[in-house]
Amino acid sequence: MKPVRQFAGGGLVLWWSRMVAMTGKELLQLGRDTLLVVAVLYLFTLDVMMSGGVKMDLNQGVVMVHDADHSMASRELIYRFQPPYFKLGGEIPDQKEGLRLLDQGKALVVLDIPPKFQHDLIQGKPTAVQIQIDTSNTILGTLAASYSAQIIEQYSFDAALQRIGLTDANLAGMPMLVDRHRVWYNPNQEDAWFMPISELLTVITVLAMMLPAAAAVREKERGTIEQLIVSPLTPIQIMLPKVIAMTLVILLGTVLSVFLVLYGVFSIPIKGSLPLFFTVTALYTFAVSGLGLFISTMSRNLAQTIMLAIMIMMPIILLSGAWTPPEAMPPGIRQAMYLSPLYYYIEMSYGILLKGAGLDILWDSLLGLTLLGSLMFGFGVWRFRRQFG
Amino acid sequence: MNLNRIKAITHKEWREILRDRLFLSLAFILPVSMMLIFGYGIKMDVENIPFAVLDQDRTAMSRDYLHLFMDSRYFDYKGHVLNERELEPLLADSRIRFAIIIPPGFQEGLKAGRPVAVQSLIDGTFPFRTSTSKGYVIAINAAFNGKLLAGFISQKMGIPSEQAAALVQPIQLQLRYLYNQELKSTWSIAPAMMMFILMMTPPFLTALGVVREKENGSIYNIYSSTVTRAEFLAGKLLPYVGISSINVIILWLMAVLVFNAPFKGDPIFFFMASVVYVGCTTGIGLLVSLFARTQIAAMMITVVVTIVPAMLYSGLLVPIASMDAASQFEAHLFPAMYYTDIALGSFLKGIGMGQLWGRVAALLIYTLVLWIASYLLFHKRVKA
Repeated sequence: MKPVRQFAGGGLVLWWSRMVAMTGKELLQLGRDTLLVVAVLYLFTLDVMMSGGVKMDLNQGVVMVHDADHSMASRELIYRFQPPYFKLGGEIPDQKEGLRLLDQGKALVVLDIPPKFQHDLIQGKPTAVQIQIDTSNTILGTLAASYSAQIIEQYSFDAALQRIGLTDANLAGMPMLVDRHRVWYNPNQEDAWFMPISELLTVITVLAMMLPAAAAVREKERGTIEQLIVSPLTPIQIMLPKVIAMTLVILLGTVLSVFLVLYGVFSIPIKGSLPLFFTVTALYTFAVSGLGLFISTMSRNLAQTIMLAIMIMMPIILLSGAWTPPEAMPPGIRQAMYLSPLYYYIEMSYGILLKGAGLDILWDSLLGLTLLGSLMFGFGVWRFRRQFG
Repeated sequence: MNLNRIKAITHKEWREILRDRLFLSLAFILPVSMMLIFGYGIKMDVENIPFAVLDQDRTAMSRDYLHLFMDSRYFDYKGHVLNERELEPLLADSRIRFAIIIPPGFQEGLKAGRPVAVQSLIDGTFPFRTSTSKGYVIAINAAFNGKLLAGFISQKMGIPSEQAAALVQPIQLQLRYLYNQELKSTWSIAPAMMMFILMMTPPFLTALGVVREKENGSIYNIYSSTVTRAEFLAGKLLPYVGISSINVIILWLMAVLVFNAPFKGDPIFFFMASVVYVGCTTGIGLLVSLFARTQIAAMMITVVVTIVPAMLYSGLLVPIASMDAASQFEAHLFPAMYYTDIALGSFLKGIGMGQLWGRVAALLIYTLVLWIASYLLFHKRVKA
């Protein structure tokens, strides 16, 4: 580095040139750890891509049928269990076999049609169909129950109309409520428009907390922090470049992920302003890295850092609504969500990327993130300065 | 293999863990707090969906219809709006997730026997919530239609309305929920979380334990000693398998006592299977540690190789049977799937060795492969 001439404001130039040098050092150090670079790249690209394959909706749940009637009516009912939600797995001779398949997880639903099913329908006698559902996974169990109930109800309704002999002409005088629902922002309800965004935001959180913390603790563990402390650098000049360097890396990864994966692979229509999204991402990264710095002052070695980071990260991610609908949270926990920076960031990210919302709508989330972020970052800086000042 | 040397290494590792108090306490606190957070925090029940109403009809019938939504515990009524344009910012700001628009002439149309279209807008950002809310809307509309039709038939055919209602729905549905009759999500989340936590924490502990020696340089002591490769690896692994086995018991107790998940299977079988699983995930950490030079890289790689398969290919979110052929194949390559079956089977289904032996065997093979691979990849000679 060239010696810096002393002139009015020279102190500022010196201050900044030191910052730039330190940031460069951090980037170089990160770049030399090939495996780490590969892992970070993987997280921003392939990992986000793979999460697009997760479907939380019921997808081809296997239906086994025990048909004691073997009639036109029973066959018609059976064939209403169709993809995407269901897949017919075949017929079984008795109920015991059904139970065995459910035990082994080879069937999700067992449909049991009683003898004389068609006969009863034609005679107008009430009849009952039994459905057994494996609810060891409650999410899928609930969906399977709701979808099969819809199918049976509709079938029953159709059968009734047929028996009463109401044809379309007769139906003319019948009052009827027609359901016209429209789904906004993701009209085809593609999971691939949701999961990858959530995953990307989670990856950003993980890296924003761990990378600066690890960079700081590594200096402590190896003793190189002593060299930095005896140098003319102030604690801020030691610490801020770590945050800046990691923020740069994360922003770069985010850009890559947004263009290559979100837009490139999943064709998510990015409706809002991307500069706004990246600005918000930078702000969020800064806020979370404050927590990372705090962790780095708590721990003496990396193993401790990492476990502390996971401890703090889990509630932040879970309380954000990234993976669970926030409305489902019990009342006390719902208020605690306002303490998770990711909650605001998620609100804004979905707002910008899918809903096309701007600052006029998202200002309150931005305010929340800024306040919480300044608090967290300020706290991290204070701890760091106290320890190394 | 010299047992004394293994003992010495295990002892050294154990003392090192014991002296790092923060590390030691976190090794136990971390799984417990993850279990608490996930057990209480993951609630996938879609309830209290905030919604707003635009009622352009304002008649007795439209109010009756809207009350079906307002009185449902699935929906949370946030208020009326006066025109359609007001709904958009509410949806964009996530103040509401759902809106109903009742057209003018709703009551008049239905009384005159005409079909009337009711529009609803659903926020689609979270597809799981969307499809569940859509299911509720369809169910409420179907109930309302059933009532309308019953009324119509009773009028037209001159029969009492109860009889008409029975005529409209001739098939009764008997739903039986197996294994988790009350659909308590914690019952299925607690065992699944054991899979998830035991997939994540043992590799972390192991990988960090080994790479720390590499990064500090203390591994050169091993390189230059008489300890053989196998002795070193075995001695290194044992304390971590031990810690994780204690965690198995703690997590099991939490699942049963704190989350009241029923345990119907054989505890001894389940414990043995869990120890095999822990041995397997510890092996993953070991393998990672042989590639990574720095602890931070070891950690990132561990995140990559454990969390993704545990989330995607374990049957936690997506049942294996519903995947396409390629994903099914991938799922069989990861240990998480086998253990999910063992955990859910032991807790909720009450099946044991008789039906699950294949899964345990798969985990055993997996463990052996990992350990042998680590043995082959670990060299005492530093590459030039």
